[in-house]
Amino acid sequence: MRLLIVEDEMLLAAQIDKFLRDHDFVVDVASDGEEGLYHLREGGYDAALIDLGLPKLDGIGLIKTMRREQNATPVLILTARGDWRDKVAGLEAGADDYLAKPFHMEELLARLNALMRRSAGYASAVIECGPLRLDTSRKELRVEGAPVELTSFEYRVLEYLAMNPSRVVSKTELTSHIYEQDFDRDSNVIEVFIGRLRKKLDPRGTLRPIRTVRGQGYRFVVEPAPV
Amino acid sequence: MGLQTRLLLIVALVLGSSLGAMGWSQDRSFKAAVRAATEEQLRTVAYGLLAAADEGDDGLRFAAELGEPRLNQPNSGLYAYLASSVGDTIWRSPSIVASGSRVAERSPLGQRPAPGEHVFGSAATIDGEPKRFALGYTVIWEALSTEMTIWVLADQTPYREQITEFRRDLAVALLLAAAAFMVVQLIAVRWGLRPIRHMVSRLHGLEAGTRNDIGDDYPRELAALARNLNRFIASEKANRERHRNAMDDLAHSLKTPLAVLKNALRELDKKQSQLFDEQLTRMESTVAHQLSRAAAVRPTIATHRIALLPAALRIANALERAYAEKAMAVKPVDEAAAEAFVKVDERDLMEMLGNLIENAFKYGRSQVRLSTSVSLSDNRSAPATAMLLVEDDGPGIAPDKRDLVLKRGERADLETSGQGIGLAVVVELAAFYEGRLAIGESELGGAAVRLSLPAAEGG
Repeated sequence: MRLLIVEDEMLLAAQIDKFLRDHDFVVDVASDGEEGLYHLREGGYDAALIDLGLPKLDGIGLIKTMRREQNATPVLILTARGDWRDKVAGLEAGADDYLAKPFHMEELLARLNALMRRSAGYASAVIECGPLRLDTSRKELRVEGAPVELTSFEYRVLEYLAMNPSRVVSKTELTSHIYEQDFDRDSNVIEVFIGRLRKKLDPRGTLRPIRTVRGQGYRFVVEPAPV
Repeated sequence: MGLQTRLLLIVALVLGSSLGAMGWSQDRSFKAAVRAATEEQLRTVAYGLLAAADEGDDGLRFAAELGEPRLNQPNSGLYAYLASSVGDTIWRSPSIVASGSRVAERSPLGQRPAPGEHVFGSAATIDGEPKRFALGYTVIWEALSTEMTIWVLADQTPYREQITEFRRDLAVALLLAAAAFMVVQLIAVRWGLRPIRHMVSRLHGLEAGTRNDIGDDYPRELAALARNLNRFIASEKANRERHRNAMDDLAHSLKTPLAVLKNALRELDKKQSQLFDEQLTRMESTVAHQLSRAAAVRPTIATHRIALLPAALRIANALERAYAEKAMAVKPVDEAAAEAFVKVDERDLMEMLGNLIENAFKYGRSQVRLSTSVSLSDNRSAPATAMLLVEDDGPGIAPDKRDLVLKRGERADLETSGQGIGLAVVVELAAFYEGRLAIGESELGGAAVRLSLPAAEGG
């Protein structure tokens, strides 16, 4: 999953950046509102973490602008002022949740996961699909109750597909959400990941949760396929 | 006593005494004029009588039918008689004779005028007869070589009637004039005091939060006052904002480093980090608590009037976004006949409502109920109270922990960061506005937290 952090405190931004990378996220950091808006206009983020007190364009202004431009990326606001007027103004501007500084990284992670799940239309942290059970807060997959070992990249691919259910996801899109921008984008690598995932998810080939849409990409189907 | 009443009272006093004095002097001069006219009339009658008299052997003779018809008729009100120098009545007019009046039996004025002189005055009263004016004139009749006094008397009734009529007209005229004066004066006073009334109504607007200043369109005498007041209001507001911004900036500049430090602890080993974490948490709660307390500034003049339920709903709607997963049902209940308004600074109100409603969202399972009501105080001088009841269907707050939560700065549940400190802030702010917080049990099953604040007048 690809995240944008808009925070002017470089030290804090670096800490969040490192923490989220350690938790399998692809992260971009912007240090002011205008830079944040630029990144958001480029698109492709699964969630944005926006500090309210930003230079050049403040957080509220940034959120209002992106919402006006029909950008529906889920937004978590960070507020240090601890002022309810800020929180309410942020939510009214179009933010989806707020977190007051100082916060625990675990809480930040939980909130971000919850936001992304919510925007994907899942009510719970656990996505269930037939015998598949993907726990997004523990980053754990079970098939018919048995835990399945996934590599970090395999997990990222599965999570992204599961968060965008019933929609065709192109290889390019998938790449940008699991890799840093400057990473070598070899579409064969994606195909390899998909192949391995299919084997791990569906060893007997009856479920087929990841369908290939020829020439376009992949689609994650939530309903169990008819046998 | 109001200014308008004072001015009108003074005007009424001045007007009353001057019109009274005017009436009195008018009355006096009219009376004198009427009296003088009567004297003149009686003198004419006396001269007429003397001119018409004939000399007889035994004195003067008068015709049986006199020139002045009233002297011939009984009870006509006009009488005349002739008295000798020793006081004997020599002749009586037919009106005396016919009326049987005793008018000629004694000297009416107690004195006899000197020869060639005349006297005039109110005649001594005679029992059973009306009051009269009397005029006496003494002549020396040379042919008879005798001195005689002719007395002419007239009833005072027509004179009194004339005076009464005059007084009535005068009173009507004076009252009309007084009424007209008072109306003009009332208009003048209202016009004169209009700028003050404007100022007062704008001050009310200021208190109600519908205005930011009292305007500057005042006459010279009030302009300086208005200017200074506006400056004061503006500077008070600016000071409040500056203070608050300073507090916010302080919070911001303390919390971000705290966040950085807390995150950096992850790199340390557990034993070391625990100590740091505890101390940092203490600092964090001190910063949050003390700064929110310090940022609360109760406005001295401009008190904002905010409708309680809409403010609570605004926060609940915002929180519905943040707690979208819970799909909380927010039920507003306006129990008050009229909408509940509070006299609290907007930021402070948001702070109180935010913490209360956030708790309900955090701990409630599926629903939050917000109800407002207004209770009038028994005592007229004390303000009415507006109340907001926030209820949820969560686990509630155990009775033995309620007091602890309400105690300032203490946290009922140190594990769940937020609840204790949030409520402590609310308790603190409510006390600052002379309101209070009470915790109970809701029929929904969870906590029922009641916030009471001084109510503002509705409208």
